[in-house]
Amino acid sequence: MAISEQEPDRELEVKLIARIAKGDDAAFVELYKRFAGALYAMAQRMLTDTKEAEDALQEGFTYIWQKAGTYDPTRSSPFAWAVMITRNKAIDRLRARERIEKLREKFTEQGADRSQQDLVSANEPALRERASIVRSAVLQLPEDQREALELSFFGGLTHGEISERLGVPLGTIKARIRRGLLRLRGSLGEGP
Amino acid sequence: MIDESKQELLVAYILDELAPATAEKLRAEIVSDLEVRDFVRQTEDAFASLAHTVPSIEAPSAIPHRILEQERHDTQQTRTVGRSKIIWLAVSSALAALLAIACIVLSLELHRLRTKVAQVSREMFLLRQENRRITGEIEVLQQKNRLAELKIATLKAQVVAFEASTVVVVWDPNQERGLLQLDRLPPPTPGKDYQLWVIDPKIAQPVSAGVISVPNNGLIRATFQPRRPVGSVSAFAISVERSGGVPEPEGQIIFAGM
Repeated sequence: MAISEQEPDRELEVKLIARIAKGDDAAFVELYKRFAGALYAMAQRMLTDTKEAEDALQEGFTYIWQKAGTYDPTRSSPFAWAVMITRNKAIDRLRARERIEKLREKFTEQGADRSQQDLVSANEPALRERASIVRSAVLQLPEDQREALELSFFGGLTHGEISERLGVPLGTIKARIRRGLLRLRGSLGEGP
Repeated sequence: MIDESKQELLVAYILDELAPATAEKLRAEIVSDLEVRDFVRQTEDAFASLAHTVPSIEAPSAIPHRILEQERHDTQQTRTVGRSKIIWLAVSSALAALLAIACIVLSLELHRLRTKVAQVSREMFLLRQENRRITGEIEVLQQKNRLAELKIATLKAQVVAFEASTVVVVWDPNQERGLLQLDRLPPPTPGKDYQLWVIDPKIAQPVSAGVISVPNNGLIRATFQPRRPVGSVSAFAISVERSGGVPEPEGQIIFAGM
């Protein structure tokens, strides 16, 4: 499925954010229903703690409610915007509670099993479909690129931290992440 | 076409790994350059899509309602705080106004008192000047009075041989002192002296005022004081007495008068 087929959903989400900026409660609840499942899962994966994931999710959506007026659809998609916000909240928690080292260890242990997990039902069929495409695209990435991307995305690690952790030169890590992202982007139909 | 190094820089921007100044500079470029903006948007979408690689989980449905309730509560609290601020501001303003009025009243009173003090000081200065002037006048008058009270007597020769001589006595009754001036007085004969006498009607005998030393030129000017206190002086006299003077007149009176 080409990613362009998601455009009507994206337009709807942009409109929802515009309504949220005007204080529309219903639009906020609707956006939450569309994104919360994926964001909650991401937060749980990052924080490895249900309660903390819930708090990060709540903080993320509180930010979305308060800052919806600053959202610029020309600079990011609604989902990417929501992901980056919630991810930042989760990273804040990781760093604030000094649990980042523990997470790194767990992340390494869980890495081998992740590809075996199945997606559970999402509230939105479109998102569920997109998730399937993404998962497939990620699986097609070379192992070293996928590993660097996942450490960055879920571990909240910087290029330098990943380089140190894997014992690989910083330039190599930068190149792996860049190439991985470009390949993923190409697989998702958003460029070379 | 964006080269690899620029792509790495943009990826670092997406991952929030740039220094604030570099990020800010790049942000401006993203806004102005369509190609760069598209690259960032699409790459960020790809990065965010990694969220889909974990199985979606049903999120707590209460969260959005909790957020909305909290936001409403915060807004209401802000308004309440706003109202409290307005009340507090009003009370503060009123207190400030009262304080300002009190300050103005006190300032005016202070100014009035300072003016009064200055006025009193000025008056005191004028009074002191007046006092000094009056004191001066009193001293002048007292001086005049003293001069007015002085008695000047020209003693007349009682013997023809002394008619060429002149004798003047100036007497100050307040101080009971006098000034004697004699001119062309011949020297006394050997073993004799001239002696001055003060005559008080209340005292039986003339009171001696001392022996008169006569220089060669015969001009004498000397102060004198009676040997005992006298009351009202009615006359002065000069007699020829034994050398060194006597307690009571014995010899011939050669000058007398008042």
